[in-house]
Amino acid sequence: MLQYQPKPLDLAFQALSDPGRRAMVERLCLGPASVSELAKPLPMTLSAVVQHLKVLEEAGLVKSQKLGRVRTCSLELKAMRQVEGWIAERKRFWEQQYDQLEAYLAQTAPEEDQ
Amino acid sequence: MTVTNATFTIERVLNASPARVFAAYGSLEAKSAWFRAPTDIETLNRDFDFRVGGRERFHARWPSGMTTDFQATYHDIVANERIILVYDMFHNGDKLSVSLLTLELRGEGGRTRLIHTEQGSYLTGGVEAVQGREHGTTWHIDNLVAVIEGREPRAFS
Repeated sequence: MLQYQPKPLDLAFQALSDPGRRAMVERLCLGPASVSELAKPLPMTLSAVVQHLKVLEEAGLVKSQKLGRVRTCSLELKAMRQVEGWIAERKRFWEQQYDQLEAYLAQTAPEEDQ
Repeated sequence: MTVTNATFTIERVLNASPARVFAAYGSLEAKSAWFRAPTDIETLNRDFDFRVGGRERFHARWPSGMTTDFQATYHDIVANERIILVYDMFHNGDKLSVSLLTLELRGEGGRTRLIHTEQGSYLTGGVEAVQGREHGTTWHIDNLVAVIEGREPRAFS
């Protein structure tokens, strides 16, 4: 079982359950964008976009950086997936070692264990 | 570079007494019989000092040319009961993680339940350097959306 702190995947799934937020994430798949660029194609106010961004940021999906008067947003998802992949690999590594440990214990079992 | 803290556990019931399982960890000869890479690898450095404060190292080069380096320090050893170590994992010289690994051995009627609990700090910059595989970000979104919509996501690999 994997436990993520402080941003469980649940939070990410919840954040993506909203079609508006999903549209924003889809836009960010193409590359970083400013808040107003994100808002332009969406039928919502700028302040609503800012609210949605906050949810995405809290879920660890998006990060934003303010440069001068422009806030630029980009996807943070890559890091999360890579960590997940790496942990799965690490787990596989140990599972493999324990398979070998089991085989070793079977080979070296004393008579009375059989 | 970002750091992510994650914990995972592995449990195995082994068909041997805790004393025999502990012995499999206790000497280089016994440990080398099972703690090894599945393919032909070249061992570059191998240290083994099984005592509290002692260090273990397994530095190897794989057929692909990649090097892996496991560097551990034993922090607690109770015969037939537990082993606690901290290890760093490097791939091609990049540090990927620092982990606290607790191994508990619990006797269960002649068998042993091995509980491996690993609390790690995973350094994603290192992961990027190692894996060198670039998945399109859209792929991740597709997967997340698939999960939300109740469809089968593609397994992480």
